[in-house]
Amino acid sequence: MKTDSRLKRVLEKGHFAVTAECGPPKGADPKVIKSKGKILKGFVDSVNVTDNQTGVVRLSSLAACVLLKKEGLDPVLQMTTRDRNRIALQSDILGASALGIRNVLCLSGDHQSFGNQPQAKGVFDVDSVQLVQLVRQMRDNGVILGGDKLSEPPRLFIGAVANPFADPFAYRAIRLGKKVAAGAEFIQTQCIYNLTRFNEWMDKVRDLGLDEKVYILGGITPLKSARMAEFMSKQVAGMDVPDEIINRMKSVPAREQRQEGIKIAIETIQALKEARGVHGVHIMAIEWEEAVPQLIEAAKLFPRPQV
Amino acid sequence: MITAERKPLSEIKEMIAPYKKILVAGCGSCVAECASGGEKEVGLLASALRMDAKMEGRKIEVNEITLDRQCVYEFIDQLTGLVGQFDVILSLGCGAGVQALADVFAGVIILPALNTAFIGQTKEAGLWIENCRACGDCKLGYFAAVCPITRCAKGLFNGPCGGSKDGKCETDPDAPCAWQLIIERLDKAGRLDLLQNVYPPADWSKQQGKGPRKIHREDQSI
Amino acid sequence: MDQKSAGLNITIFFCQQLDANQDANRRVLERELGSRIKFFPLPCSGRIEPLHLLRALETGADRVYLIICPEGACRYREGNLRARKRLAFAQGLIEEIGLEPQRLELIQTTQGDQLTIDQRAHDLLARKAAFGPNPAKLQGSRGQANNARTLEPMNPGTPDVYQGVHYDYSGKKTFI
Repeated sequence: MKTDSRLKRVLEKGHFAVTAECGPPKGADPKVIKSKGKILKGFVDSVNVTDNQTGVVRLSSLAACVLLKKEGLDPVLQMTTRDRNRIALQSDILGASALGIRNVLCLSGDHQSFGNQPQAKGVFDVDSVQLVQLVRQMRDNGVILGGDKLSEPPRLFIGAVANPFADPFAYRAIRLGKKVAAGAEFIQTQCIYNLTRFNEWMDKVRDLGLDEKVYILGGITPLKSARMAEFMSKQVAGMDVPDEIINRMKSVPAREQRQEGIKIAIETIQALKEARGVHGVHIMAIEWEEAVPQLIEAAKLFPRPQV
Repeated sequence: MITAERKPLSEIKEMIAPYKKILVAGCGSCVAECASGGEKEVGLLASALRMDAKMEGRKIEVNEITLDRQCVYEFIDQLTGLVGQFDVILSLGCGAGVQALADVFAGVIILPALNTAFIGQTKEAGLWIENCRACGDCKLGYFAAVCPITRCAKGLFNGPCGGSKDGKCETDPDAPCAWQLIIERLDKAGRLDLLQNVYPPADWSKQQGKGPRKIHREDQSI
Repeated sequence: MDQKSAGLNITIFFCQQLDANQDANRRVLERELGSRIKFFPLPCSGRIEPLHLLRALETGADRVYLIICPEGACRYREGNLRARKRLAFAQGLIEEIGLEPQRLELIQTTQGDQLTIDQRAHDLLARKAAFGPNPAKLQGSRGQANNARTLEPMNPGTPDVYQGVHYDYSGKKTFI
């Protein structure tokens, strides 16, 4: 049976996949999602919708996914384990499938202390690896945690994340192996600015044979300015922006920095296209969705394949 | 040990405002070890409360006592015969101590002077760290004696998350990443194989699933 | 007006390493001023407890001084450093009840000064009286018992044996 997940079809056909990210608004207005969807439509295979990213309250990921689906896009539902216990998570997985969502990305989520609700109780009833495993069991075995049978299993393409730039570095590929063992089918990575380290990580991933068991999509975030590069380097946990990238951004006048950021992103995409075991890119243009079509055309990833 | 910290004096004052005869009751066990509810702290608080009342021209009587343990009946019993002389008992015990007093002396007003914090270790003089959440299902054997529930900010059984940098946790640059510690210690012990396991979700019913827990031992009963 | 003429009550905690003859040297002042001056020699200033400082204020002192040895000169290495922290803690506590933290003051002596404890006390008494009487001290003349008391357990029904209950590491309750 042909899957409804465009992302899965693209990857299974051996195409270099392109996903993008769409952050829901801090309000109830559906127009924001629709307009972001319109910008991305046709240029990407699927669109991730973040789940209260950085612990900031936003329109729900599931609702935004449904809005994007109505616009004709293939949404990837991001689910963090920070805000929901296993009852709510499993319930939302069933709900998402019933609403026609066909991709889910399982992650633990940014700690609540970073967001605008620092007094919230972090749930973390299950972790990201356990979430991958439970979605997989729901889909393939038709059971929830504890073994109760589902009347109808959810139909979801299951993803997880990896950060090649966090510590301890030697363990990062092994942890990816755990996510694969738990049932992850595609992986989206943290934004890549340090290609040397990314390649070192990919070497370990290939040594473990993981690139043949899971589709890996490299993370790309075009830089808007030298200041953003510095901020990400110093202030954002788990981000590795080498000095050469910061200096390169600084070397051009402020009004040309956005273009330089796009250039760096294009070069990174080219490098990823040539890396064995990398199956696509995930573009997280933070509040800069309009840059995505330009970037995709310039990186010769347009038009997207018909699958 | 159970650790605790004294509440701000303003909060304590507000609680005891309606009362004239106050007994400040300390506990010589855990909260004495963490210097929040032992004999010295009882003396300090009582002294401060008396001076405060004097400065504001209020007449109160504040007396002091420290029990060896506030959570065990045999020690609580030392207060029998005393409690009737007071309007209120201001307890410098942990939450268990406060509730035990209230349980034994029904009808007596017992107020907490401490904020009970956590189960922890005296890491060094003046430094206490949390390292147990009393989950009721100890898994330390798999994690090189570093509790991921307590010491990982996200309580991950399959960590570390992407926020581990230079051995520190993203939520607090002073806090070690529990998973970095687990990996280092497992490596030293030659047990890195334990990291390959996908650990299932915790059974929280052993912690809080059915309300307050109890341990009943027939062999220990009279 | 200086503190002596103002009639303030002074309490002085001090490291007895500072003056080998402190016992004799403070007698004259003690006779002259009676309960208005109190000396508390400490084997090391690190032995001071915040509770001592609070009790001094509560029982009538208007100013409390803690005299410690020069930096790096503590016979027990860190005693004077600890004294500083303890005093700061007590200052925080009296500040919470609205009493001036400066009523508790740390005096660090300097290397090579050979002053005796009575000379130091004279210097302190000669200081300007920055504060009036301590509004927090309890009724009655200095030195008298106040209404503070530590209660002894009054329950005759409790068997004495419970005073010595001991838990060994196996969790067994034994009596010692």
